[in-house]
Amino acid sequence: MNAYGLLWGLLLALLSTAAQAQNDTPPQSGIWIPNPGADLWKAVRQRGQPEPSTTQVQGLDSNQLINVAGEKFRDWRRERFIRYAAYLLAGVPVVILLFHMLHGAMKLEPSGRKLLRFDLYDRVAHWLLATVFLFLAFTGLLLLFGRFVIVPWLGLDAFSPIASASKEGHNLFGPLFLVALLWVFLRFVARNLPAWRDIVWLLKGGGAFGGKHPSAGFFNGGEKLWFWSLAVFGLLLSLSGLLLDFPSYAPSRELLVLALVVHGAAAVILVAFSFGHIYMGTAGVEGTLEGMRDGTVDANWARQHHDQWYAEMVREGRLEALSEAQENRAETTTGQLEEGRT
Amino acid sequence: MARLKFYCDAERCIECNGCITACKNENDVPWGVNRRRVVTIKDGEQGERSLSVACMHCSDAPCAAVCPVDCFYTTEDGLVLHDKDICIGCGYCFYACPFGAPQFPQDGAFASRGKMDKCTFCAGGPEENGSSAEYKKYGRNRLAEGKLPLCAEMCATKALLAGDANVLADIYRERVIYRASSSLRRGVDLQKQNLGGNPGAGS
Repeated sequence: MNAYGLLWGLLLALLSTAAQAQNDTPPQSGIWIPNPGADLWKAVRQRGQPEPSTTQVQGLDSNQLINVAGEKFRDWRRERFIRYAAYLLAGVPVVILLFHMLHGAMKLEPSGRKLLRFDLYDRVAHWLLATVFLFLAFTGLLLLFGRFVIVPWLGLDAFSPIASASKEGHNLFGPLFLVALLWVFLRFVARNLPAWRDIVWLLKGGGAFGGKHPSAGFFNGGEKLWFWSLAVFGLLLSLSGLLLDFPSYAPSRELLVLALVVHGAAAVILVAFSFGHIYMGTAGVEGTLEGMRDGTVDANWARQHHDQWYAEMVREGRLEALSEAQENRAETTTGQLEEGRT
Repeated sequence: MARLKFYCDAERCIECNGCITACKNENDVPWGVNRRRVVTIKDGEQGERSLSVACMHCSDAPCAAVCPVDCFYTTEDGLVLHDKDICIGCGYCFYACPFGAPQFPQDGAFASRGKMDKCTFCAGGPEENGSSAEYKKYGRNRLAEGKLPLCAEMCATKALLAGDANVLADIYRERVIYRASSSLRRGVDLQKQNLGGNPGAGS
């Protein structure tokens, strides 16, 4: 065994010297300098670029030697934004799903009596904004996560045309979002002015914790929070998007990077919020979708979720006239509801 | 393998813009695109220096990191190249690049960006070496012909060098040593001249 070990050792030693001889690069003098330009660029970066600096080449920031925003942008995009956006956009649906499994949908006992909630203009404005929003969110998320989700699955060659179409579509239809947003804002702002009861509503979590529904007007605190978030972040989203749509008119790269940061953050916040909005409008609360679909809601739905608005509507006699049979049915069901509540 | 790099010697560059002309001519660069540019600092003042800047072919390239479609690749020689068939012209590489290398021709609706164009170290792209498709998209593939980038080859003062980083480092070191000795001598002369005169002039 010892002899074998010795033989192996010799062989290994021989092989390693042979490998070393092969790897021998031509003799170098002095110390190793990976890139001779490194010192110079380091000096430019550390001392800041001396002014004035000029160049014959026309272009955005073409007289700048070092782009100071570049590394920040890379760090923000790769280390923070993509990661935290993924956590948020995956986390919110999970939370909603858990809530739905624990809490279940808020049931509605239809009374058969209808109340007009959203007229045609309200609905067209809402669905225009919703369509544009969903399209932009979908294309935007494709561009954000595609490299990490679609590329490993379909490959680079398949993702490129998808991404290209997303980019062109996103850029072309982006300005429509601002138009739809302004329309929705103008139509809904009067009904979304904050009131004291909205804060109470929010503190009580919309009745999710207290059991009883907190008082609400035409829109409740949650809806108003969504409306104003949409207004503020939507405006930031539109303005930054318009700048990014016409990059050739931007004064500097730093502003474009800032616009990208604002655009991304606002977009992800709104998309996460929209998950909640879509849930509450469809599976979360029975009878809500009707309002945006047909324009009318059930009277009992209004009593349940918007008691003050309901009271107002009753005072003004806006409840649609019903046949006697319907009237009876409505009374019994509302009666049952009240019993259930107390 | 060699690690290919550019080096521009600010002590030698005279801002003749010959490198830009050579690049444009050799690569048939799209209108409005400059793969290389010469930046002059303190123009007309004491300490004026010029630098010719293009893609520096970073080892950890920020452009490749932020690209949403992952169109960049690094060759065996350490060159950062990109695939124009994959690129969607979003411009993120331009925001991330420290050197302002990625360029975009105006193309499509509302003067939007076309596919990105940048210095290839005269090494073409992913297409077959020397093919007309490669020339159309990326310009000449001189590297496949055993030649260095034309900008460096054309540089009249040999300020702009291109090649193996080790070789460039040797040339750079040699230049620094010669310069140090000559400026040392000049410094001594100036000091002699300025004895009792203006002390600031020699610095």
